[in-house]
Amino acid sequence: MAPLLQAQSIGKTYPGGTVANDGVNLTIMPGEVHAVVGENGAGKSTLMKILFGMEQPDTGQLLVDGKTVSFANPREAIDAGIGMVFQHFSLVPSFSVYENVVLGSEPRHGMKFDRAKAIAAVRELSERFRLHVDPLPAVGDLPVGQQQRVEILKALYRDARILILDEPTAVLAPQEVAELFVAVRSLVEQGRTVIFIAHKLPEVLEISDRITVMRAGKTVGEVMASEVTEQSLATMMVGREVTLRVDRATREGALVCEIKALNIVGENGTTLADDLNIKVHAGEILGLVGVEGNGQAELLQAIAGLRPIAHGVAYLDAQSLGPMSVRERRAIGLASIPEDRIAQGLASGASVAENLVATKLGDRRFVRRGLLDLKAIKAHAEQLIAQFSIRVGNSRAAVGTLSGGNMQKVVVARELAEQPRLLLVNQPTRGVDLGATQFIWKSITQARDGGAAVLLSSADLSELLALSDRLVVFYRGRIVAAFISAEDLSPETLGTYMLGLDRQDDRTMRAALR
Amino acid sequence: MIELLMTMFSATFFVTVIRTTTPLLFATLGGLISDLSGALNVALEGMMLIAALTAVIVSVYAPWYIAVLAAVLASGMLGGLMAFFHLKLKADIILVGFAVNILATGGTVFALAIATGGDKGTSINLQSKAIPAVTLPWLDAIPGIGPVLRSLLSGHSILSWLGALTVFLVWYFLYRTPWGLWLRGVGEYPAAPEAAGIPVGKVRAWSLVASGALVGLGGAQLAMFNYVGFTRDMTAGRGFIALGAVLLGARHPVGAMLAALLFGFFEALSIVMPNLFNWIPSELIQTIPFVVTILALVLFSYRAQRARQMRTLSKL
Amino acid sequence: MSARSYSRWSAVGRETGRAALALLIAVIVALVIVLATSTDPLKAFSTLLTGPLSSNRTIGLWIDDVAKLTLTGLAFSLVFQARQFSMGVQGQVYMGGLFAALVAMSPVGGTMFAIPLAVLAAMLAGAAYGFLPGYAKARFGASEIVSSLMLNYIAILVVNFIVRAYLAPAGSGQLMTKDFPDTAIFPAIIPGTRFDLGIVIALLATVLVWFLLYRTAWGLKLRLVGHNPGFAEYAGIRSSVIMVSAMTAAGAIGGLLGAVFVQGRAFGNIAVDFDGNLAFEGILIAIVARSRPLAVPFVALCYGYLRQGAQLMGLRTDVPSEMIGVIQAIIILLVASSFSLPGRKTLQRWFKPRSRLPAGASAGEAR
Repeated sequence: MAPLLQAQSIGKTYPGGTVANDGVNLTIMPGEVHAVVGENGAGKSTLMKILFGMEQPDTGQLLVDGKTVSFANPREAIDAGIGMVFQHFSLVPSFSVYENVVLGSEPRHGMKFDRAKAIAAVRELSERFRLHVDPLPAVGDLPVGQQQRVEILKALYRDARILILDEPTAVLAPQEVAELFVAVRSLVEQGRTVIFIAHKLPEVLEISDRITVMRAGKTVGEVMASEVTEQSLATMMVGREVTLRVDRATREGALVCEIKALNIVGENGTTLADDLNIKVHAGEILGLVGVEGNGQAELLQAIAGLRPIAHGVAYLDAQSLGPMSVRERRAIGLASIPEDRIAQGLASGASVAENLVATKLGDRRFVRRGLLDLKAIKAHAEQLIAQFSIRVGNSRAAVGTLSGGNMQKVVVARELAEQPRLLLVNQPTRGVDLGATQFIWKSITQARDGGAAVLLSSADLSELLALSDRLVVFYRGRIVAAFISAEDLSPETLGTYMLGLDRQDDRTMRAALR
Repeated sequence: MIELLMTMFSATFFVTVIRTTTPLLFATLGGLISDLSGALNVALEGMMLIAALTAVIVSVYAPWYIAVLAAVLASGMLGGLMAFFHLKLKADIILVGFAVNILATGGTVFALAIATGGDKGTSINLQSKAIPAVTLPWLDAIPGIGPVLRSLLSGHSILSWLGALTVFLVWYFLYRTPWGLWLRGVGEYPAAPEAAGIPVGKVRAWSLVASGALVGLGGAQLAMFNYVGFTRDMTAGRGFIALGAVLLGARHPVGAMLAALLFGFFEALSIVMPNLFNWIPSELIQTIPFVVTILALVLFSYRAQRARQMRTLSKL
Repeated sequence: MSARSYSRWSAVGRETGRAALALLIAVIVALVIVLATSTDPLKAFSTLLTGPLSSNRTIGLWIDDVAKLTLTGLAFSLVFQARQFSMGVQGQVYMGGLFAALVAMSPVGGTMFAIPLAVLAAMLAGAAYGFLPGYAKARFGASEIVSSLMLNYIAILVVNFIVRAYLAPAGSGQLMTKDFPDTAIFPAIIPGTRFDLGIVIALLATVLVWFLLYRTAWGLKLRLVGHNPGFAEYAGIRSSVIMVSAMTAAGAIGGLLGAVFVQGRAFGNIAVDFDGNLAFEGILIAIVARSRPLAVPFVALCYGYLRQGAQLMGLRTDVPSEMIGVIQAIIILLVASSFSLPGRKTLQRWFKPRSRLPAGASAGEAR
């Protein structure tokens, strides 16, 4: 049987010197589910962008059905039968489902957009591939799982023979993943081919027929799923035995942060979090588990002062945070590592030194009578650069020129420069390489050991399980489960709560919430 | 006071309002299209000015409809130029827009002086033409309301009728054709149309060209009907008032039309009022449209803000 | 240490080179226009390029322009650094000019306090007028672009009205006031010319704005808000307060320019439409200077020269001075587009073809 799609010796170097792909080979057989695995930064996304025509390779070639092709833009890839579902959906929020699905290839009646035909076509596809979704509502109102189905329908509407799914399970709970796999199998039964990009190994082994492993921009191997184990795959991905472990908290400190009956309402009136009751003590890490968008990030934003609290109270060291401004909260020992370092955590155009001092402009060490003490600021920056091993030429360089891991280190350095009382952490190692990840984990646990109370939210369950001393599970803005320790907890158990299929009784929860 | 009210409800006042609204309407629709595609066009003022001058100069040598066409082409090309600098050379759209405005204020006076052989103020020495008015004498024949209808509907510029039609055409384009869907998608969330293979840059470029073409009609109306001939700085801020109208009209063609009518109404008032109230200085009357724009802008933004807050509070 | 200063100077060199390139292109276009429209292109062009140096008087005119251009350039630079597009400098100039004139024409005008008080009044008026669009944005979310532009027109109309109806000599039909008493007019630095206090004020303002932006906490907050408002809020900086104060401070500078206009030796009175749209040329100055206060006077010097040349060309030859509008537009377009990397690459490709392939070399070439 001849391969359906082949990539041969693909090379791609981005301006700035990053070698994203180096001699990458990929062979996809018709009718199979093929997984491409690798860590963050291994080059998977770049390869997929090249397959989809969003980037052009510097060297190498692509073959479809044995013929050389090159895609100058996504339209050409779509015409060749390749469809892609991105991790971050490309859906226009105010457009309806059917408008989003047919966008760019609308059925027409002369000059007029034939809406009835579009709706019928979407319904038919939805039935055929078991991707049930109502064509009419606005996509912005739908939950994430349904939005993903719309994305897949988009590709199927254009007769994609090959579907590329980029980390589709990153935003799904375990049971939603099972539904997705049902759809994938039905796609394969009806003659399509699926390429699956992932780094969650159990899922990869469950669904795929063959697996290509990438590491640091190269392909390191192509194996049959039936012939490998999780451990051997992980070794191929990382190149060494990986055991990321972290020491647990040894003692329990005083109550630092208390949340009582907290209620958060969003801009369009929907309740984002309701009746939250949490206690965090000095010297412990409380992990916030939940599918993204169920209230964890909103809670952290409310405590940080970036989101108003509708009802209830949040205390830091027995002081109510509600009436305090962000500046005042920071002054009493609150530090926060935000979810998106580029949008929120840094000013890319400003220098490293300016970024490092930005939260301390009320501090007499750096600002006296309104005037900046440039020497002190520079010394402070240089000390932090050394302490946190930030790789940068000098402190005047613009922060936007650093790599992702180093940018995150700047954020961490700034927030942990002084021992905080309460540390809020959201997605600390997203898009960060392994070395920086270990360093950041160490910094967080050091802060904890220094007496900080830490609230940690992450989309990476293994990170939560590795770092947290205690855990609470969020579902639809409420806490549905709490656990005193992370030992013996499996992702499946957590998944049951994450998807609202189960809820702990109040007594068990209260005991664990202390 | 009674005089003022009586004037406001007269047929001639209505005709005046239509006349003042027409350039504003075209400019607002132009601004709407480019705003919906994600490229805010602050050069409406300059485009209108250049279109006005083009119409006047070309009409000296050619029939009026050629002059109108020339105006449309000129400002359409300006839109293309803006697209080039913004999309290909990555210049900020606001700065590009202001560059066009500066080009227009200086460039039109310069071109005017060259065309008139030295007159930098007006084109009064040029024999420029006017757009014909559409008289509908047969309306008189309708029993009963005939004469009233005639006084209301007869005598408008052809472009005014075109303007009304354009509102419908713009609405149809935006909400009933695929390309309107593309344009709105590009403006709201460009990643989506891009992933669908829609050329986002081209859509924005064409929206700027279309925006220019529409403004061009406004400029032609201004210099060939509202006034006949070109005077320096004759647009007097209409392009910026149009921007206000785009925001006020909730970014929808019908809203744009209503907002343009509102501002046209006030401009008409400022024409009529000096005759009735000659103790109010003309400068202060001229400030009325600008003050109204600010008030409307503030009110509208405030209401949008309050609506968001109310939705948050009502859920408690 | 030396590596850092080298890279700083090379950055300055690159920026200057870019600006000079834009200027060159604009001048070439001007040459083409002059060739096409003038009966004596050589005279026109030579007046444009050498006119300002032709006499002490023209040099004085040039420096006078430089002072004014510097001030408006500083005002725009301040708001641009905060990424606010408030275009209200012209309105602030008129308000400032009005209040300076009021002080100058009052009994205080005859005393030695006339100049400082008038300047102060102008700055306060300008600051108040700059505050308005800022407040509207902070409190109501109203676009500062539209509101500031509207306020410009309102200010011009109101000030013109007041001048015409109340301040000009009654019944004369004149559109300007009598000259201010000598104590209210800036003294000349070089007697007999327009080289007066205005340029000193402009240079002092430059240093002041630089100091505010780069040596104070307020300035750092302003620049951070300009870089990333989301980050500023997260860090505890009150973005709306900063934005409003930036526009207010810029308004004070605009008001100051108004005082320089009416109290400068060039006028010594207030007239209808007295700024001749000079306020908007600050946009060009700010863009070319990349909103950096220390660069503003230099850009003003070069651009002021060109501007003066165009005025003289308009007076002495048959090419209207408004042609400079074309030059301005071209410079803005060119400089604005080389702001970010892709634009620069395009220009580099045109002027300095190198062997390094830009990203996007097609796959088809590799066999």
